[in-house]
Amino acid sequence: MKILVSAKRVSDPNARLAISKDGKWIEGDVEYILNPFCENAIEAALQLAEAHDGTETIAVGIGDDETARFIRQGALARGIDRGILVTADEAEIDSDLIARIYQGLAYREKPDIILLGKQAIDGDSNQVGQLLAEYLGWPQATFASKIDIEGNEVIVQREVDGGLETLALTMPCVITADLRLNEPRYASLAGIMKAKKKQLDELEIDDLELEDTDAKVEIVGMSTPTGRKAGVIVKDVDELLAKLHNEARVI
Amino acid sequence: MFSPSKPFLDALARDFRADFVSFDSSDLREFGRDWTRVFEPAACAVVFPETTQEVSNFLALANQHGVPVVPSGGRTGLAAGAVARDGEVVLSLARMRRMDAVDLTGSALRVQAGAITELVHQHAAEHGLTWPVDFASKGSSQVGGNIATNAGGVKVLRYGLTRHWVLGLQVVLADGRVLELGGALEKNNTGIDLRQLFIGSEGILGVITEATLKLSPLPGKLDVFLFAVDDLAAVLRLFREVRRAPLTPMAYEFFTDVCLRRVLSHRALRQPFAQPSSHYVLLEVERGEDLEDWIASLFDRDLVRDGVLAQSPSEAADLWSLREGISESLSATGMPHKNDIALPIAALEGFTSELDGVFRARYPGWEIAVFGHVGDGNLHINVMKPDAMTKDEFLACAKSADAELFELVRRHGGSVSAEHGIGLLKKGALPYTRSAAEIELMRGIKRVLDPKGILNPGKIFDQ
Repeated sequence: MKILVSAKRVSDPNARLAISKDGKWIEGDVEYILNPFCENAIEAALQLAEAHDGTETIAVGIGDDETARFIRQGALARGIDRGILVTADEAEIDSDLIARIYQGLAYREKPDIILLGKQAIDGDSNQVGQLLAEYLGWPQATFASKIDIEGNEVIVQREVDGGLETLALTMPCVITADLRLNEPRYASLAGIMKAKKKQLDELEIDDLELEDTDAKVEIVGMSTPTGRKAGVIVKDVDELLAKLHNEARVI
Repeated sequence: MFSPSKPFLDALARDFRADFVSFDSSDLREFGRDWTRVFEPAACAVVFPETTQEVSNFLALANQHGVPVVPSGGRTGLAAGAVARDGEVVLSLARMRRMDAVDLTGSALRVQAGAITELVHQHAAEHGLTWPVDFASKGSSQVGGNIATNAGGVKVLRYGLTRHWVLGLQVVLADGRVLELGGALEKNNTGIDLRQLFIGSEGILGVITEATLKLSPLPGKLDVFLFAVDDLAAVLRLFREVRRAPLTPMAYEFFTDVCLRRVLSHRALRQPFAQPSSHYVLLEVERGEDLEDWIASLFDRDLVRDGVLAQSPSEAADLWSLREGISESLSATGMPHKNDIALPIAALEGFTSELDGVFRARYPGWEIAVFGHVGDGNLHINVMKPDAMTKDEFLACAKSADAELFELVRRHGGSVSAEHGIGLLKKGALPYTRSAAEIELMRGIKRVLDPKGILNPGKIFDQ
């Protein structure tokens, strides 16, 4: 079996971001982390590989050399077998192009399962898995909270409003990982050192011979949230009640 | 049990703001105790001054009437130094939390004693600076309490104790006199440094109302490692390697698997390793030199069994939680009897091998959680109460074992209280570390500064 898994870097949600001068991207000394949902996807790929002998796992990142660092330390160090970096300027690609890049990679690598994070926590688009399944004509299961393989079928449990839904998919298929799927392991130091020697291929988008390489979404502007007003300290419960009644008008 | 006189209460009502004093039973309970749960709180009142002048006025009044006063900060202490159990008035600094603008030229910051440690960190961080006094309780602890207890914590290896980061103090004496000690001077070689007397005095000599803190540049990006090792000897072997390695260690902490299991049962945190090990080391370093070869050599020489490196700030915080969550998790999941001892680092190995003998004899089969700051020779030894035992039986048993433990500490040239202080809890242990002559001198100093003995009576020693 062969599993292709995503390793996207995202800006650290705890970092303070600055917006670039043209107002369309972020800039400055941004701290990045591996997308938490990709960490779930990676952990799921590792668990499937541990349970099924002869499984090859491949991590995919799209971006620059910094992205390569996340493929190595976030995926290969945890035990993924090899990596592929598709070089691109992250400011110039959208969910549709990312889905087409994965489509091109699927034709090259012929995986049985493509496991993606359900969304990236910076862009929050939640589109790549769904678009990719459509382009490939493969079955898909999004927001997976449990994955098992039975014969040639993948049994996926997904969280839906008010309960759980269980799907049986034939392979090849696309699965997107939700937070409750598993608890990602730490990257061990032994794993980090092994990762240095693992294969990490570099491709350009052109190498994938896609029919369409245009981004469909243009970011026209970014802005920071409006700051919260400073709080006030009330002296007693009476003053609190008065403020809630007269100013906040909630009681 | 002290009970306040009517003239004192009348003056309190007449000369102070209406909300200066509280007799509310939940306030009395809350402000009458700290993080120890050994003594029943029994304060008679809590006062909340907002200015140094109010502290001064109140102490003058209390002194005149012979009213015992317990100065009170964030009450995160672990030696019952801020416990009021004999009808004392608690003097809370909680409303005195002003922070001045950061002095960028002098790299200093003037704050009132009630400023929360973590807020001081945030305030300084906006200017790329920090007050490098850091420990698990920083979200509640206050600067005044940090100074009055000369707090230690997790960064002592890199920065030293609180004492090194105080330029000046404003202190109110028992009779209401206000002293300005040191100000913002880096150098001030003019006789006996009285400021140092108050640092670590646990509130028995005066009430700290303001402090000028010395700031340090914020460290660069940090890497957090967690190592699994076989035993305490391996913890110390690895420490010797860290001392000589091409890195700047910020923290070198260790804990045992007993601690880890308690934390994991209390907090929703991930298992760091597939295979448990007997001891773990948390190493935090400033990111700099490439450490790859050094790390590889640790494995090659079997100095570590396993290791992980945090890949993101949130993973680093998770690894830190495994260490910083111990104290809280032990208290939440059982009843610990705590000891906080220090040894000369070179004596740690000999001490711990003898310690195992004491444990085996005194606590056969009991759960004992050991962790600490190896970098400064500080061990936290927590004996957990067996379920079948009553609290009183347990405390009696622990007390008699302590005598043996402290004798062992004394023989190895250690201290019975590394960073928690003496308070009420370790009073009996003081003579194991300080000589009779020293304790008599301390009493003399107390008599000069607080002749009526109203400030935090019964803490550290009995007058």
